[in-house]
Amino acid sequence: MRTALAIARKELSIYFTTPWAYAVFTAMVALSSFFFMGLLQSFQQAQEWAQAVGWNKLPPDLGAYRNLTDGVIVQLWGIVLIVTLFVAPFLSMRLFAEEKRNKTFELLMTTPVRPIELVLGKYLGGLGIISATLGLTILFPLILTAFGKSTSGAVLEWPTVLLGYGAVLLWGATCMAVGMFISSLTESQMVAALLTFVVLLPWMLLRGLAQGVEEPLRSFVNYMAFDSQLQNLIMGVLDLKALVFFFSVILFSLLLTHRSVEAQRWA
Amino acid sequence: MAMIEVQNLTKRYRDRSAIEGLTFSVNEGEILGFLGPNGAGKSTTMKILTGFLPPSMGTAKVAGFDVFEQPLEVKRRIGYLPETPPLYPEMTVRGYLKFVAELKRVPGRGLKAEVNRVSGLAGLSDIMDRVIQNLSKGYKQRVGIAQALLGSPPVLILDEPTEGLDPSQRADVRSLIKELAGKHTLILSTHILPEVTMTCEKVLIINQGKMVAYDEIKKLTSVHGQAENVSLEEIFIKLTAA
Repeated sequence: MRTALAIARKELSIYFTTPWAYAVFTAMVALSSFFFMGLLQSFQQAQEWAQAVGWNKLPPDLGAYRNLTDGVIVQLWGIVLIVTLFVAPFLSMRLFAEEKRNKTFELLMTTPVRPIELVLGKYLGGLGIISATLGLTILFPLILTAFGKSTSGAVLEWPTVLLGYGAVLLWGATCMAVGMFISSLTESQMVAALLTFVVLLPWMLLRGLAQGVEEPLRSFVNYMAFDSQLQNLIMGVLDLKALVFFFSVILFSLLLTHRSVEAQRWA
Repeated sequence: MAMIEVQNLTKRYRDRSAIEGLTFSVNEGEILGFLGPNGAGKSTTMKILTGFLPPSMGTAKVAGFDVFEQPLEVKRRIGYLPETPPLYPEMTVRGYLKFVAELKRVPGRGLKAEVNRVSGLAGLSDIMDRVIQNLSKGYKQRVGIAQALLGSPPVLILDEPTEGLDPSQRADVRSLIKELAGKHTLILSTHILPEVTMTCEKVLIINQGKMVAYDEIKKLTSVHGQAENVSLEEIFIKLTAA
């Protein structure tokens, strides 16, 4: 286990000594701030309309704008999920591909490190960097509590906000696991990033495909889609089925990575 | 006692064979010089011995452990310098050596002392806090050597350790290798022939994956040379000219 931690520590220290991590942080914060501002504006507009004519006269889909939690944060989490889909492949791509290209994979494979320690160490490092990237988004609800006003009770419903935030982190962890497996298959970081994206995006949007197929398959496709699993979580519904689903995807990806590292011994 | 035992070792990539039926053994404390033209299969053999690549046929044992059956036991006993030193360009020399020492399970308490010991041996003490990517090729090579020495493994496998060094650094590495002899069992590959005569007792010459000579240097010169002072260079060219 000490070896796994050493590998994770090395991974993080390399992320933070290169400009890479900072570029990704900046991208993450810039994109989500952009959308956050947009959401705030729509929220304000809906509130103004409601004050003028009353909530009853407004179209029902504006109902979400009654409070900041549903009107801004839940929607922001939805956007952060999509941004993560684009950002995570760039963080996971180097995990194994870089070691192979740099010939340091030979070092890892000829020192007494078990493949399981290597995979866990790498994944812990990956989790660290994705948590740091996504962790920054907690700033937005904090800003709202500091500056927001509410006529009834607290500005934000923190349980809902935190559960959504947990869903965002869980989604990041899933992207990293899938990305790490793909990174272990190739020497090229670009190929790893592109392939990860090509796997994650359709998987996220599988629900669109479900419309065209017959029943038992349809519920299966619906079940497999990332976005249908995430939907409840980000709205603050603790959905155990979804948790099991994501932990299974992560575990399965780690097992595949382990196989792929072991396969080196048989090449 | 034979520290390294190789029996009929063969590595094939589809229809091309990189090495074919190598058999040799190295006794404890011995230095074996591994010679051959580029592409002869030296690095492949070393990769198999260190457990990085599996053999297609044959067996290799280090300290009695089969490299394929008990890879961890073998890896615990080997220090390996691959042909490209496996360095992380973003790390400092000290950070890198600490990391490798952790991979090799050097106990936490002795870790600092061990890093200092090998950096002293490899002549790195002055550049410990520099970032690896800014080092010259010679220094990078020496960081690679230091890494192999960490944990003081009984067997050292060095793939072209003097590659990229200038003549005086080369002399330093040669004397370091001589110092290590006796304490460690060494396999050393190179295509710089005088290197071998200066450091090794035994040589193994391979060409196109096949063994063409395996003997003590003294015997080789007496078998292949009519004249007294035939050089290893002439033998090498003669044997690999097939």
